[in-house]
Amino acid sequence: MKDYFVLQLVMNNRKTKEAGFNPVLGYLLVLIVFVLLSEYIFHKTEFAKYLVMLVCFSFQFKLSENRRTDFLLSTFGNKSKNKIRVLENSIVCIPFVSNLIHKNLFLEAVILFICSITIALFSFRTSLNFTIPTPFSKNPFEFLTGFRKTFFIFPLAYALTAIGINVDNFNLGIFSMLLISITTLSYYSKPEKEYYVWVHADTTKSFLKKKIIIATKNYILLTIPILIGLLIFYPIKFNLTLLFLFIGILFLWTIVLAKYSAYPDEIHLSEGFIIAFTILFPPLIMVVIPYFYTKSINNLKFIFNDKN
Amino acid sequence: MIKIKVLSKSYNSNEVLKEINMEFSRGKVYGIVGENGAGKTTLFKCIAGLESYNGEVLSDVQPLKNYLGLLLTDPFFFSKITGKEYLRLLCNARGKRNINIDQKNIFDLPLNQYASTYSTGTKKKLAITAILLQENEYFILDEPFNGVDIQSNIVLTEIILKLKELDKIIIVSSHIFSTLSDTCDEIILLRKGEQIKSVQKVDFKTLEEEMKEITIGNRIEKLELK
Repeated sequence: MKDYFVLQLVMNNRKTKEAGFNPVLGYLLVLIVFVLLSEYIFHKTEFAKYLVMLVCFSFQFKLSENRRTDFLLSTFGNKSKNKIRVLENSIVCIPFVSNLIHKNLFLEAVILFICSITIALFSFRTSLNFTIPTPFSKNPFEFLTGFRKTFFIFPLAYALTAIGINVDNFNLGIFSMLLISITTLSYYSKPEKEYYVWVHADTTKSFLKKKIIIATKNYILLTIPILIGLLIFYPIKFNLTLLFLFIGILFLWTIVLAKYSAYPDEIHLSEGFIIAFTILFPPLIMVVIPYFYTKSINNLKFIFNDKN
Repeated sequence: MIKIKVLSKSYNSNEVLKEINMEFSRGKVYGIVGENGAGKTTLFKCIAGLESYNGEVLSDVQPLKNYLGLLLTDPFFFSKITGKEYLRLLCNARGKRNINIDQKNIFDLPLNQYASTYSTGTKKKLAITAILLQENEYFILDEPFNGVDIQSNIVLTEIILKLKELDKIIIVSSHIFSTLSDTCDEIILLRKGEQIKSVQKVDFKTLEEEMKEITIGNRIEKLELK
């Protein structure tokens, strides 16, 4: 059992290193982000305690996934499997329980701890087997697979826009648009296997052009309900609405090109910093897009057998 | 035609392919055999252009990769993509649109289910269907018969023979010798990255015996089964 946890630590350290961090620094950074984020949430909403519990459960549900617990059962036997799972869930809940205690929410802390131990004794299917319909079937795959993983975001964003219009809060509509933008950016955060780039009978340029056009079309399709709502109810602010749409599109291009400029690796820390700076100072995007484009062209030349 | 000239491939100091020279003609089926680690998959990836190499790979239509249907040993599928969407993705990639996918579903695949939920054999059949729908000129099939049921293996053998009739080039690797002897015109033996020999159809039986002899040797006796 001890070996199992040592191995988990080694694997986590490897992942942190792959992300470009020294493991100790990585853990410290996660802790700082966790503290700042929880302070922010408690400051912003009275529902923060529920959010804290929900996030903790979501991590624990992942650990209770059927195939994972089956593996533990077949490798360690029932008794040790239960011990491992209880210990894992206890480790996961420590920061969340500490957070609740820190906020004097003792009852919630006890409930969270008891639930964490109980969840450890069960296993769940974490993936839905039925096929979620999408409007992106004709042009797989980023929006198609991404939409299915994040489908619950879209009714939420559209509902927020409707609420925003209802209470005359234009900013809430813009926030919904940003929510969709951030969600769609995540579709391009992981590189696909080389086969799925290689298989395209394209040149590097035509491949990137195709990717960017499809991403733009699909992004606009998802934002249309919000756009229509805002343009109808806030016609005088049409320039602001279109500006945010345009910024969303530019960031989408940035992330598509950033992905292929690091390909076949994941987006490196350096690209991540460039994107972060661009978010802080958006005019930079005019330099960043051509930079990532040139880098992507050079990077993909080998796969596309491009001589130019 | 596909011509491989003095192709070598190394990972650091480990040379996995050593000066390979091969020529594949249209309307013929070629088998590549060899033990695990002989270099078959690396050779296929080099021909496809998925791996860098020293030497030359020439073909009568250029670029070769745009006309090549490549079936990998263990095809990867995205987690939330259905069989039909996978076929569409691979057809779109080659500019083949408006294909009647349902009509061409010859393996009766559950096309509206997520491909990641398919069994190993069904995944392979999906990947094979995809490269067939792409209407390629060349085919590289790495272990196409592995994990596929007997009925589908019979269909697959017929498909390979049909492709041959259509003047395509088909290169197949398989650990099941009978599947190769049924379809191939020539079998090339690789061992530790070296091209050991090429054998024509009339000599397949001798090759099979030779391979048995080399592979089995006295290993069974060593086990001292009781």
